[in-house]
Amino acid sequence: MPVFKTPFNGYSVKFSPFYENQVAVATSQNFGILGNGRVHVLQLGPAITERVAFDTADGVYDLCWSESHDSLIVAAIADGSLKIYDLSLPPTANPIRSLHEHGRECHGVDFNTVRKDSFLSASWDDTVKLWTVDRPTSVRTFKEHAYCVYSVVWNPRHADVFASASGDCTARIWDVREPGSTMILPAHEFEILSCDWSKYDDCIIATASVDKSIKVWDVRNYRVPLAVLNGHGYAVRKVKFSPHRGSMMASCSYDMTVRLWDYMVEDALIGRYDHHTEFAVGVDMSVLVEGLLASCGWDELVYVWPHGTDPRAP
Amino acid sequence: MSSPSDDPPSKTPQNPVSQVAQANDDRQDPKVEMEKEISSASVFVNAEPPREEQVQNAVRFLSHPKVRGSPVVYRRSFLERKGLTKEEIDEAFRRVPDSNPDATTTLSAVDGQIKSSLNDQQQHPVQVLQSTPVGPAVSTSKVGAISRFRWYHGILAAGFLTVAQVIAAVVFKRLFVPKLKSWIRWIVLEEDVKGQTKKFDTKPSIAEEAAAAAKSAATAAADVARTSQDMLMTNSEEKRCLEELISMLRVQASEMTSLRGAIQKLEVGHSITSRQSTEEHNIKGFSWTTSGQPYANGKVDSDSRSVRSLSPPVSVEPSVAPHPKSYMEIMAMIQRGEKPSNIREINDAPPNPNQPLPNPHLAPKPKPWEIGQGQSRSAGTFPSQASTNGFSIDDQLNGDNIVRWRQPNNTRTTETEIGNEPNFGFPSVATNETLLKRSWVPPQPPSVVMPEAAAAIRQPKKSLSQTDTETDDLKSADITDELQKITKISEMGGSFEANGSNSTHSNEIAPSTDERASSLMA
Repeated sequence: MPVFKTPFNGYSVKFSPFYENQVAVATSQNFGILGNGRVHVLQLGPAITERVAFDTADGVYDLCWSESHDSLIVAAIADGSLKIYDLSLPPTANPIRSLHEHGRECHGVDFNTVRKDSFLSASWDDTVKLWTVDRPTSVRTFKEHAYCVYSVVWNPRHADVFASASGDCTARIWDVREPGSTMILPAHEFEILSCDWSKYDDCIIATASVDKSIKVWDVRNYRVPLAVLNGHGYAVRKVKFSPHRGSMMASCSYDMTVRLWDYMVEDALIGRYDHHTEFAVGVDMSVLVEGLLASCGWDELVYVWPHGTDPRAP
Repeated sequence: MSSPSDDPPSKTPQNPVSQVAQANDDRQDPKVEMEKEISSASVFVNAEPPREEQVQNAVRFLSHPKVRGSPVVYRRSFLERKGLTKEEIDEAFRRVPDSNPDATTTLSAVDGQIKSSLNDQQQHPVQVLQSTPVGPAVSTSKVGAISRFRWYHGILAAGFLTVAQVIAAVVFKRLFVPKLKSWIRWIVLEEDVKGQTKKFDTKPSIAEEAAAAAKSAATAAADVARTSQDMLMTNSEEKRCLEELISMLRVQASEMTSLRGAIQKLEVGHSITSRQSTEEHNIKGFSWTTSGQPYANGKVDSDSRSVRSLSPPVSVEPSVAPHPKSYMEIMAMIQRGEKPSNIREINDAPPNPNQPLPNPHLAPKPKPWEIGQGQSRSAGTFPSQASTNGFSIDDQLNGDNIVRWRQPNNTRTTETEIGNEPNFGFPSVATNETLLKRSWVPPQPPSVVMPEAAAAIRQPKKSLSQTDTETDDLKSADITDELQKITKISEMGGSFEANGSNSTHSNEIAPSTDERASSLMA
C-alpha cells in the first residue's frame, strides 16, 4: 500500500468528493505547538505523489473539500483564520481567501453536503462560525460552549442541522434557523474531541472523547447511549461514520491505532490497524470508493489502504 | 448495546409526524408551511418537560456560596454537564435570587453563635447558659441534615462550640468559683469585723444576707456546674455521633481513592490543548446531590460522575498518553522562551483577495446514502419528510418540487421524468416501484447546483430534450458513473437493517473493493 511522508506532523486527511484518487492532508510543524503549516494535495496511484502544496505561516489543524467546487479546499489554521485554496490556480495565486474572525485557533472545518454552499468552523475561542464561500465575513456565530470547540459536523440529511463537540464535555446539536443550540448532550465526563453523524440514520451521532471511548447516541433518546465502544488505549482523536455501511465507523487515537467498529454487532471492533508509530490524529473514509481508508499521524506518514488489507504492505 | 428501533418508544416523533402530516395536507404557500415546520418540534430538539428534581438540585448548587463567586459561564457549563436541559437551567437561575435556602440561614446563625460564644468567654456565665441550650439544638439539627457541606460546617461549628464551652466551664470552675468563695469569705470576715462595731441586730441580717447571697451563689454555681456537666455529656454524645459519621465518610473516601487509583492506572491520551493548557477546576470539588436516583436511565455513568465530583480539585483525568520525545523537547524549549529554529517567516495572505471563484469542472456527485436512501428506510417516514421540509425552507424553487411530490397521483410520472437525469443519480424506475410497495417515501430532492436543471424540472415538456443533451455530456466525461452503478448494485444486494450478514457482506464486498481499488490505482 502506498505511503507518503510529509515534512511536518499530520493533522487531518480528507478524500476529495469529486476525484477518487485525490486526497488532501493538513500538516503542522513541530507537532502544531509552534511553527508553519502545509496543505498537501496528493494523487493516489501505485505510489502517492504530491500534486501541489501550500505553505502557511501557522499550523494547519484541519481542512475540508468544497462540495460545490471540485478545486476548492478550506483549511483551518492555528492562527484562527480560514484559508481557501483553489487548485486550478498556481500556488503563487493562492490562497484566494483568508477569513480571520476567530480569536483563537481554528480546529475544525466542515462543508455542507446537502446544500453545498456553506461551511462551519470550530475554534478554541469556544465558538462555531457559519460561512459561505462567496462572503468575506461569517454569516453567523454560535457561542454557547464553555470551552474549546474541537469539531463541528453537518448532518448529512438535514441541511440546517449540525453538531459540535467541545472540551466542556458536551456535544451540542444546532439548527442554523434557531438562535441557540437545540440539544445538549452531556456525552462524556471528559473532553469530547470529535463527533460524526451516521450517514444512514440521521438521528444517530457518535462522540469520541479523551476518556478513550466512543459513544453512539440516538438524539431521540439521548440520556442513554446506544453503544459505548471501548478498546482504544488513549484518547480517541477522530471518529468517522462510513459513507457506505450504516453502522460502521472508523476511529483513530493517541494509542497510534486506527480502528473500525460496527456498533450494532455484539463485539463491535471489526478492524484494527497499528501502522502508525506516533499519535494517529486523522482518519477518513472515501465517499467514492467503498472501503478505502486514509490516515495520518504525528509520525509524518499518510497511509491510504482498502479496509481488510495491511496498510504497510508493499 | 441495543439496536435503534425504527419506531422509538419516546413520544417525540409522534406529535411532529401528525403535525407534519397536517402540514403536508395543507397545500399552502411554502412560506406558511415553513413557519409551521419551525414551530413543530423537529427530532433534534429536546421535548422533555423540565424535571423538578433536577431544577432543585441546580438551585441548591447555585445557592452555594462557593458557586456564587464563580463566573456564570462555569455554572451553566457545570449544570449542562450534569445533563440539565436549557429550560431547567434557566428555571434554576430564575429561582436562585428569590429562594432562601435553609443552608445559608443555619450557617449564618451558627457562625453568629460561634462568634458570640467566643466573645463571651470572659463575661457572665449566664450568657454561657443561654448559648448552651441553643448549641446542642443547632448541632443536632446539623447532624440531621443531608447535604455534605452542612456536615462540614456543622462539624466545625460543633467543634468550636464544644471547645468554647469546655473552656468556659473550665475557666468558670477554676477561676470564678474560688474567687467567689474567697470573696464570700472576705465579706463574711469583714462583716464579722464590722459587726462588732455595729448593732447586733444588723449583724445577723447582714450576715444572713451574706449567707443567703453566698448560698444562692453556691446553688447557682452548683446549677452551672451541673448544666456544664450535662453539656459536656451531650457534647460527648455528639462527639460519638460525629465520630461515627466521620468513620463512615472515611470509608467512602477510601472507596473513592481506590476507584481513582484504578482509573489512574489506565493510561489515556491527554487533551490536545497543549499550546496553552488551562483547566477549569473551580466547581469540580462540589458534590452533586442526587439522593441515590441520578436520572431515569442515567445510571450508566453515575459512578464515574460521583468519582469526579467528590475528588479534590485536582484533575482526575485519564493519564496523558506518552508524547514523542521531540514533542517534549519542543515544549521545554518554548517554556524556556526559545523559538524552534526551523520556523520560517511565511506570508500566507491571499495575493488577490478578490480573486473570483473558479467554475466547477464537475457536477457534485450524489452521496452513497442519498442514492440508497429510499431502500434503506423501512418506516423512517418522518425523518425523510423532515429533510424534504427542511430543504424547502431555503429554496423556493424546490418549494414547487415539494408541492408536486405530495400529489401521490402524479408521483410515478414525476419520478420517472426526474429519473431520466443521470447527473443527479436518481434511482431507476424499477427501484421506485419496489419502494412504492412500502409506505411511500419521497426521495430527497437534489441540491440546486445547476439552475438550468431546476428550470427543466419545472417545464416537463422541455426537460426531455434538455436532459438528453445533458446526459450525453456527462456520460462521456465521467468514468465514475460506472462506479456509482457498481456501488448501487452492491448496496441493493446488501441490507442496512440491524444485525445480519455484516460479516458475510464484508466478505462479498472486500474482493470487489480490492479489484476496484487496484484498477483505479493502476
